Amino acid sequence: MEFGNISAILVMGLTIGCIYAVIAVGLNLLYGTMRMLNIAHGSIIMLGAYTAYWLFTIYNISPLFSAIFAALGAGVIGLVVYKLLFASDIRTAKSLESLEGASLLIFFGLLILTENVASLSWGADFRGYSYLTNALTIWGTPVALNRVSAALIAIVVCLALYIFLQRTLFGKAVRAVIQDKDATQLAGVDTGKIYIFCFVVGFAMAGLAGALISMFYSIHPFMGLPYTLMAFVVIILGGLGNILGSLVGGLILGLVITAVVAYTTPGFSFIVQYVIFIVVILFMPQGIFGRRVR
Amino acid sequence: MTSRARTLAIWAAILTILLTLPLYAPGYYISLLISILMWIILAVGWIIFSGYTGYISLAVAAFFGLGSYMTVIIWPILPSFPLVIIAGGLASGFFAILIGFPCLRIRGPYFIILTLGLSELVKYISQIYEVRVRGALGTILLGGPSSEVFYYSLIIIAAITVVTAYFVKNTKFGLGLFSIKANEEAAEAMGVDTTRYKLLSFGLSALFMGFAGAVMALRWTYIDPTVAFNPLITFQVTIMAIFGGMEDFRGPIIGATVLTLISEAFGIRYPYHYMGLLGITLILLVKFLPTGLMGVISRLYIRKKIVGALDAVS
Repeated sequence: MEFGNISAILVMGLTIGCIYAVIAVGLNLLYGTMRMLNIAHGSIIMLGAYTAYWLFTIYNISPLFSAIFAALGAGVIGLVVYKLLFASDIRTAKSLESLEGASLLIFFGLLILTENVASLSWGADFRGYSYLTNALTIWGTPVALNRVSAALIAIVVCLALYIFLQRTLFGKAVRAVIQDKDATQLAGVDTGKIYIFCFVVGFAMAGLAGALISMFYSIHPFMGLPYTLMAFVVIILGGLGNILGSLVGGLILGLVITAVVAYTTPGFSFIVQYVIFIVVILFMPQGIFGRRVR
Repeated sequence: MTSRARTLAIWAAILTILLTLPLYAPGYYISLLISILMWIILAVGWIIFSGYTGYISLAVAAFFGLGSYMTVIIWPILPSFPLVIIAGGLASGFFAILIGFPCLRIRGPYFIILTLGLSELVKYISQIYEVRVRGALGTILLGGPSSEVFYYSLIIIAAITVVTAYFVKNTKFGLGLFSIKANEEAAEAMGVDTTRYKLLSFGLSALFMGFAGAVMALRWTYIDPTVAFNPLITFQVTIMAIFGGMEDFRGPIIGATVLTLISEAFGIRYPYHYMGLLGITLILLVKFLPTGLMGVISRLYIRKKIVGALDAVS
């Protein structure tokens, strides 16, 4: 194995790993606090990607800037979805576990809806644009600047959220809900507020991730599901509700997928992803860090 | 007439109309009924596992596609219609039991998303297989039987599926499956062999999906991985069953019929509108009508009975 190969895998794997991490952290926020598996997470990524794409191609706005709009828009969608579809159920349900199946089907409906509305409005073609394509050399590997900046933004956002959760009182409440929501409620925390926060921030992170992805991958209405499944693998690896675990899990998965694809052929990329997905769900449901929250 | 005799009479009438239909109905209605029957087989097959045990499986497309691919493999060598149907069903059934061993230990949302990932995996594998091993994507299947043969064989398969769904529900087996839905730990503690029950109904449900896939491959005459393993098949079947109700076979029959008619009326011309509406329908159903149409009907029926009984008393 030559050095060039290893360095290429490291650079490419870590950059895509940062994107996986930001997607997974958003998904984990919802799953960790509310036991809701947002299978429509990928659709929000897709919407974010199209936001950045249109703002760039029509108004020539830098995707680094429009990522903010994508995140805000996705956050608003999260708020609306929560208020419209989940707020009343959560208030009346005896336990959040009883909502697991139903909420997954609702998100499934949301996924079908958004994908088809997107195909209807923008067509089902692959789209892409070039921005910041000049190459940067890291450890001897040339890598496009757009990929590096996307990865940097992703990792900074993840770390910022982690610090927020660790250092503020509100963040402490969120972590408490992840550990034991009933006890948190008994201690006088308004869990409704926490849920709104998680929906808005979780969706916003998906929107942001979409804008970042659009900078270096082509986008289309059905791009979301593989990312959702990947993020799901990451949160299992890193532990449910474990934000730092998701970050590390994302980086690991990025490396593994890049390495496997590098030594097979790019055509196998999806197969490799799904095989990892199935193996992890079946054989490692506790994750590599082994902390079971449930 | 007792209510049981009446129900039997209604079913006999429906079956008679269906069986004599090709004698006088125009060809369009036959092809419409062929697609309705296909969806009925898939949706009733789906509830045998997912409706009865509460495990929501999104692997419909995998089993349907596997059935289609048995036809793709066998038909050019040995063009016998009954043979490909049986082979398709058995292949899907065995595949279900095989993957059921590890998968059925997983519960709740994990299981749902695992089955979804599994169908995608099977799709990509068959794509790679076609491109790399066979060198061409897609297969054209020629020399299939006439639409009457398709029609009657689908009626037979649908009838077997419905009867199976009925008997599974009304035996000890069905009782075991419903106890898994209600509380799996308790069922296990009461001595229900949950693993065997789940495996058996998973395999049974895949068997019928495989039958449908094997038949439709010849009907569609062209099969490639995106057609056979189309996730839309899964979406539609799930929504049909939830729309109609998943407690017994009547719900999915109603759901499949209604949704196929809507899809024929406008889904072909406006696929994205149609799918978008299906998405909204699914959300509304889960939120406001979790028992489906049959749930509403039986509630109304019970209310009428109570009102009638009260009138009789007073």
